[in-house]
Amino acid sequence: MSKGKRFLIGGVIILGALSYMIYGGMQEALVYFKMPSELRAEEKSLQGKFVRMGGMVVKGSLQKDLQNLTYRFQLTDGSTAFPVYFKGVPPDLFVEGKGAVVEGRVGSDGVFQATMIMAKHAEDYSPHADGNSPNKSFVPAKEAGAK
Amino acid sequence: MIAALGHTSILLAFLAALVGIASPLIAARFEPERFRAVARYSIFGQFALVTLAAAALIYGLIATDFSIKYVAFNTTRATPIYYRVTGLWGALEGSLLLWEWILIIFAGIVAWVYRKRHHEMMPWVVMIFSIVSAFFLGVIGFLSNPFETVSPIPLDGRGLNPLLEDANMMTHPPLLYTGFVGLTVPFAFAMAALIVGKVDEAWITTTRRWTIIAWFFLTAGNLVGAWWSYHVLGWGGYWAWDPVENAAFMPWLPATAFLHSVQVQERRRMLKVWNLSLIIVAFSLTIFGTFLTRSGIISSIHAFSSGPVGGFFLGFLAFVLLGSFGLLAYRADMLKEQPELDSMVSRESALLLNNIVLVSALFTIFLGTIFPLLSEAVAGVQVSVGAPYFNSVTVPLFLFLVFLMGVGPIIAWRRASWDNLKRSFLCPAIAALLLGLGLFAWKIRDFLPILGFTLMAFVAFTIIYDTALALRARKRIAGEGIIRGLVTLTRRNQRRYGGFIVHLGVVLIMMGIAGSMSYSLEKEATLALKQNLQIGNYRIQFEGLKGSQQPTHFRVEGAFRVIHNGNDEGIMSPALKFFPIQQSPVGRAVHQSSLGEDIYLILSGFSELDRNQATLKVLVRPLVIWMWIGGFVIAFGTLICILPMKTTQLSDT
Repeated sequence: MSKGKRFLIGGVIILGALSYMIYGGMQEALVYFKMPSELRAEEKSLQGKFVRMGGMVVKGSLQKDLQNLTYRFQLTDGSTAFPVYFKGVPPDLFVEGKGAVVEGRVGSDGVFQATMIMAKHAEDYSPHADGNSPNKSFVPAKEAGAK
Repeated sequence: MIAALGHTSILLAFLAALVGIASPLIAARFEPERFRAVARYSIFGQFALVTLAAAALIYGLIATDFSIKYVAFNTTRATPIYYRVTGLWGALEGSLLLWEWILIIFAGIVAWVYRKRHHEMMPWVVMIFSIVSAFFLGVIGFLSNPFETVSPIPLDGRGLNPLLEDANMMTHPPLLYTGFVGLTVPFAFAMAALIVGKVDEAWITTTRRWTIIAWFFLTAGNLVGAWWSYHVLGWGGYWAWDPVENAAFMPWLPATAFLHSVQVQERRRMLKVWNLSLIIVAFSLTIFGTFLTRSGIISSIHAFSSGPVGGFFLGFLAFVLLGSFGLLAYRADMLKEQPELDSMVSRESALLLNNIVLVSALFTIFLGTIFPLLSEAVAGVQVSVGAPYFNSVTVPLFLFLVFLMGVGPIIAWRRASWDNLKRSFLCPAIAALLLGLGLFAWKIRDFLPILGFTLMAFVAFTIIYDTALALRARKRIAGEGIIRGLVTLTRRNQRRYGGFIVHLGVVLIMMGIAGSMSYSLEKEATLALKQNLQIGNYRIQFEGLKGSQQPTHFRVEGAFRVIHNGNDEGIMSPALKFFPIQQSPVGRAVHQSSLGEDIYLILSGFSELDRNQATLKVLVRPLVIWMWIGGFVIAFGTLICILPMKTTQLSDT
């Protein structure tokens, strides 16, 4: 076999292996972002797959059990409210009436089993209108004792 | 006043940069001698003016001159003086100025050091520097002006993002920028070599030290970034494959590949086009990284507000790629190569494989980073590429790289004979296998970690074994002892032994990553007073909450007693900080490190102070500390490589 041919074969093998690894990795780790209504519509095909769902935390829907660190709430995009279950500690910005993104799977019971909650941050650093005075914005998390 | 001074300096420097671009072109047509000096003086002029501008902004920050918008946005009267200075890179405008400043410092040093050498190439080197400098000065002067004034003058400033108020933030951005900008030196020489048509090894040998220095700063910048993430961001990790982390890491890969493949060109006159391409890619990635982080197309802690700046970076990137690869194509006939690879079992092929692995890793990370952007732009589908993608593809690649790190520096050039292989590798390989078996017998039973640790041991053993053989030879020849022999060996071949030390440092970092990736424990719970949480060999007891008013924020601190294997190891106090300008508290996680493992505590919430209940997250992360130790080892090895020593090698200037 000539040298050129050997290098060609080597190159093809390396490229093939890399493509295979990238393809496999993508299959495993590609996470689609869905709105609650989209997710409801595609629930069957996406069942068991890792997805992200973004929406507003429905006011009055949040039930927390702080002893066991479990949270139940609903996320809405205006048309569909999707129930979510989460165990763990949500980020500080996670509150009712504000935007949140959850990551996890839809269970067979139609409840979104979240493994992670990401609260929507303001993307720049500018202070918020209500955040200008030092005292107003100091709001310790009251939740731990509240319920 | 200060603002006017600063802005005028920038505009004048921009003009000087234009002179620096034009004069070599004029010189090429008319009078070489006189214009050669002009090009150099334009760099010195830019250096003086940009330094003046940077000094003006730093003075404005220290003196809290709130008539400058940038100062008003990034400092307050209460900000301690050192954080006022770090405000220079706390936001977009200032960090661009810092970038330009470092660039022109590099350019100034290069222009000064080589003022009497490389007569043919230097004007073009200066021109390349001036082009890059003119781009940054244009952006600073006309688009994103740090000296913009504000009226009426606010009474107090807004202050830095609290997350940036940390000692590491004083070092992380300047280190990284120095690394990025340092890559401009080999890039400028490479382009100059192409323009002049001297495509031999001269540009590589000239810039060798510069490239090693840039590589070191890139490494240090990334490591300090990881440390900052671990230390400050309070999530217990050090790397999240965040697009911005990837942007900082990506140039490191071709830069590392370049440092290895140039040896093949120096030794065998091969891979000329490949080396030129690597340095073009590395330099372009520094611009791409800035585009990614500064354009606002992705959101992250690093991403400052969006603006027109991103588009200009993309335009400049296109210009750089077209220009440099255009030049490469133009000189293609000069870059034809004769020698070929003699054998697959040789130093050349190990270095070549190293390059293939690094470039594959680069491609993988690049694809994963831009895939969400592509997907949304092309198909309108919002996706994100999770950390598992990056891990599952890069971990095998990096393991293979570790193997090559063991083989590459020791194996013979051209063609390694069976005897050569047996002499260099048999003992280290057996020792590494024994160690692997020992780990298996102890308790490590998973495939990837055991493979990883065995390969890392293999690298360490080959290096130690090779050095031991060389020391024995020194003893036989000159009767030198171990210390004396090491000094002689290092002096004779500082790149080889410096490289060995750097490799050992990399192995330590890999060890830290492998340990913490594979065997971390994590638990969270809400604890009442005196309640316990058990994790691994640790018992954590909640001892109470304490609130205190700090100069810039209100701080709530939890006290947790850590009991390790029955020994009381004292109190650890993670905290939450409430800044007046922020909606939500900023966590202050704490950790205790030992050589074996770190214990990491995060206070995630608490009841009102008198209720004494706290939600705590605890992580136990093995071997993390070795990543930071590895960083220092790399620094030491780099120093050995670049220190001017009396050697028998050819000096590289």
